[in-house]
Amino acid sequence: MIRLLARNIIRFIILILVQVLLLDNVLLGGYLNPYFYVLFILLMPFETPRWLLLVAGFLLGLSIDLFTNTLGMHTAAAVLMAFMRPWVLSMFAPRDGYEPETYPRIHYYGFGWFAGYAAILTFMHHLVLFYVEVFHFQYFFTTLLRVILSTALTTSTIILSQFFIFRK
Amino acid sequence: MRGLLLLLRKYNYVLVFILLETLAIIMLSNNNRYQHSILVNANREITGTLFEAVEGAREYMNLGATNKILVEENTRLRNRIRALDEQLGDTVVNSGQVGDYFFFPAEIVHSTLYKQFNYLTINKGRRQGVASDMGVIGPQGIVGIVLESSDNYSTVIPVINRDFRLSVKISKNNFVGILSWEGMSHRVASLNEIPFHADVAIGDSIVTSGYSAVFPEGLFVGNVKEVEQQEGNFYIIRIQLGTDFQKLFHVNVINNFNREEQVELEASLKQ
Repeated sequence: MIRLLARNIIRFIILILVQVLLLDNVLLGGYLNPYFYVLFILLMPFETPRWLLLVAGFLLGLSIDLFTNTLGMHTAAAVLMAFMRPWVLSMFAPRDGYEPETYPRIHYYGFGWFAGYAAILTFMHHLVLFYVEVFHFQYFFTTLLRVILSTALTTSTIILSQFFIFRK
Repeated sequence: MRGLLLLLRKYNYVLVFILLETLAIIMLSNNNRYQHSILVNANREITGTLFEAVEGAREYMNLGATNKILVEENTRLRNRIRALDEQLGDTVVNSGQVGDYFFFPAEIVHSTLYKQFNYLTINKGRRQGVASDMGVIGPQGIVGIVLESSDNYSTVIPVINRDFRLSVKISKNNFVGILSWEGMSHRVASLNEIPFHADVAIGDSIVTSGYSAVFPEGLFVGNVKEVEQQEGNFYIIRIQLGTDFQKLFHVNVINNFNREEQVELEASLKQ
């Protein structure tokens, strides 16, 4: 239990540092920016109570916001993502549910499962984030395109990371 | 009752979600100017309509007091007209533009009185010609300055807001100082930068200086209530404000026709 907690805290810190020090300086094709840090919410254990998920999402978004000077934007997106996670998990649940002692990773539930789970939650996060950033529906489709492209980028980065860094 | 408690226990995470998301939006609005202006504009339209209805009832109940204040103002204005008539005598007045300033009426639909940063909302906006930096006066003296306008409502930053600054002068000897508010009583403001050699007495009236493009010269602000001498070269003066914000409903917005010209000229001098 303590080990699990420590691992999550270290992951939290590393993901924030990678995001603000490295990835926030990466801009592909003008406005594609991967928001890799959402991986933290994806990897939290299945048994995490919902309120803890929400609080973790809040702290995660807030930390990113503090670094990027966009107070509230990432927080709103991350909280919503944490709120949706239990539904998405139950949507993708295998026939006899998730087994104890397993974690939401490719290693346990396969590539297809993880890709779908990560893509949907990342999409929700990006949807909120980009629309809050623009804050009106005037350029609805331009923003939607940005959401979709960035979701693809973030999701593929997350999946790649599963093979190299966070294997278990 | 037990059912309700059970429901709450089962869905308490929804409450946590709403709480955290609200917090995020509050942070968003407080710290990002762009999102803030859009939220405030939308909000002003909605709350403006609501407050106007409530204020309508309140106004009705206070008709008596309002009438009395208006009658007093009428009398004062009539006296002034007579005095001016006498001064003018037979001299011919240049016709054409009546003045550089135009007054138009508005009503306060919402106001805060007991905060450090108070604001008023009035029921006139861009469509009625109200824009930022226009002055607002009431029957008993100056009220504030328009901060932002949406289509049909405007936010006014009143004298009783700690961000408020206005150049005013002592009516009898034209010494100019800065009017501000220290956040204490909504009837008392302070006047700074009046030097020691100026002659100030309790009861002296304070009027606008006309140095900014917002108010014309000579509008009533209040009376001197207290004069303190401290170290340094300036008095600390407390002013009893003419306007009682608690009883304020009808105000006038002042449009200065030459404001843009004056602002432009002053800006070009600074360069």
